[in-house]
Amino acid sequence: MQDKRLKYLLVVPAVLVVFATAIWPLIDSLRLSFTVGRLTRPNFPQAYIGLENYNWAFFDEPAFWNSVTVTSIYTIVTVALTTLIALGLAMLLAPGGRLRSGVQTLLILPFAMSPALIGVSFRFMFNPEFGLFDAFFGLLFPPLADISWLSDPVLAFVVCVIADVWGWIPFLTLVLIGGLASIPRDTIEAAQVDGAGGWRVFKDVTLPQLMPVLAVVLILKAIFSLKTFDQVYMLTNGGPGTATQTLSHYIYFNGFKYGQIGYSASVAWLMVIPMLVLTYFYAKFVFRKD
Amino acid sequence: MTGRQRKQFWNAIQIILILIAAGIMIIPIIWIFLAAFKSHVDVYQLKLFFSPTLENFSTVFQSPYDLGHKLFNSTVVAGVTVLFAIPIATLAAYSFSRFRLRGETTLLVMILATQFVPAVVIVLPFFVMFRDIGLLDTRTGLILVNLAIVMPFAIWMIKGFIDGIPIDTEEAAMVDGSTRLQVIWNIVLPMAAPGLFTAGIFCFIIAWNEFLFALILTNKNAVTLPIGLALFKAEEGDLWNLLSAAGIIIMLPMFILALTIRRYFVQGMTMGAVR
Repeated sequence: MQDKRLKYLLVVPAVLVVFATAIWPLIDSLRLSFTVGRLTRPNFPQAYIGLENYNWAFFDEPAFWNSVTVTSIYTIVTVALTTLIALGLAMLLAPGGRLRSGVQTLLILPFAMSPALIGVSFRFMFNPEFGLFDAFFGLLFPPLADISWLSDPVLAFVVCVIADVWGWIPFLTLVLIGGLASIPRDTIEAAQVDGAGGWRVFKDVTLPQLMPVLAVVLILKAIFSLKTFDQVYMLTNGGPGTATQTLSHYIYFNGFKYGQIGYSASVAWLMVIPMLVLTYFYAKFVFRKD
Repeated sequence: MTGRQRKQFWNAIQIILILIAAGIMIIPIIWIFLAAFKSHVDVYQLKLFFSPTLENFSTVFQSPYDLGHKLFNSTVVAGVTVLFAIPIATLAAYSFSRFRLRGETTLLVMILATQFVPAVVIVLPFFVMFRDIGLLDTRTGLILVNLAIVMPFAIWMIKGFIDGIPIDTEEAAMVDGSTRLQVIWNIVLPMAAPGLFTAGIFCFIIAWNEFLFALILTNKNAVTLPIGLALFKAEEGDLWNLLSAAGIIIMLPMFILALTIRRYFVQGMTMGAVR
């Protein structure tokens, strides 16, 4: 067979799978978002109601706005903390040597851990009676001893953030180490010869050259922060009340606890939009090299 | 301080910081490992020394927990997902890597973008469809939706590996009269094998750890390990010793797999944006 035809035939199975498992559900979610889709009633979906679901979310549901706020703060805080700590750690570990490469290997472990299990682990670590981190924080700040972390709206949110940051630092660090390794040594050495101090070298030479990798990392982390579900579900299940209810959790709750598929599809689609924007920027970086 | 002393001082500070960071990363994991060997009484105390027991590991495999069944489901679902994803992705990746296709960039971006669509959006229509055709709570259904998250990774990762294989050998074989499919089978596959293996392991880990699909689409027969974690709740609270034992069963195999492909993890996760 000629390459001219074969090259298209080779991609057909993959494209079909991607369409069936990702594009179709995306479009069908959009259709469902215009319906009264109640799971518990017969003749699903019951009726088409235009933009009514979106109206409902925007104007009649404080819980929707609550989850938007929670997700926004969560995303900003986790992206900032994870990136800053990972950048510091990457700078520390980049020089190599036995200790440093050993720790780099160690970083793979949290990364291979299921996010649901990370959620469970942190519930364990912050248990007020026998949690290790609870005991540790209690030692540092006595007022925090034996506090019921997950029953307090603010502290529960803090624990969710800590668990997220803990789970993502390893990956971001490894990416940034890769980025640091690709910076030519001579540019840094030239700056040092010119008498620039450590901080100046970092700010004027290292950081600008690390920017493309840093941008990729920021976008990727933002996407995964926006989607957060597993850990939060296992740690707090959105609680106490709705203090840690992220958008994904809100959609899950409305769709599968209350059976309002139509409504939750509309919120899901509102969530797709920022994703598409972030994906656009991400794709720009991926194709930058070609 | 002299320059040399100052350097030593900074070096010491760095090593201390590295050790603290390593500690923070590893302590929760070690703590889970310890808790899994603690008795029902010891786990509710901050004990570092205790008489270890293997009882938790046998309890989790017994009724009502039946972790063996979940282990079986997780293995089958992740395994079959990979068996479907890797060959399909390899064919596409080869074509993307070696030929110019019409609309290639658009297709590749679309595949990339599907990776970023929230799982909760994808699961809504699948739930409705599976309910109608009886695929709810089946391993088959779960494998189908898992392909959605695994395929983009697999295509991008394998494309990266094939991009790195020099094209000369292929051209020489074509001149000698091999067909394109023979070239793929005889030359490209053996050379790309380590890459395919890496991508396979990577996708296996992702499918194994997948949570949201399994939470929504299964409830009894097809429940996987991460969902099984929710079982260890009793009226008096979480059964931490059992949870920890189950946690080890979930994470230990993935640790081992991840370490075998550690060099490629970053490349896989960023889908080629960082190499």
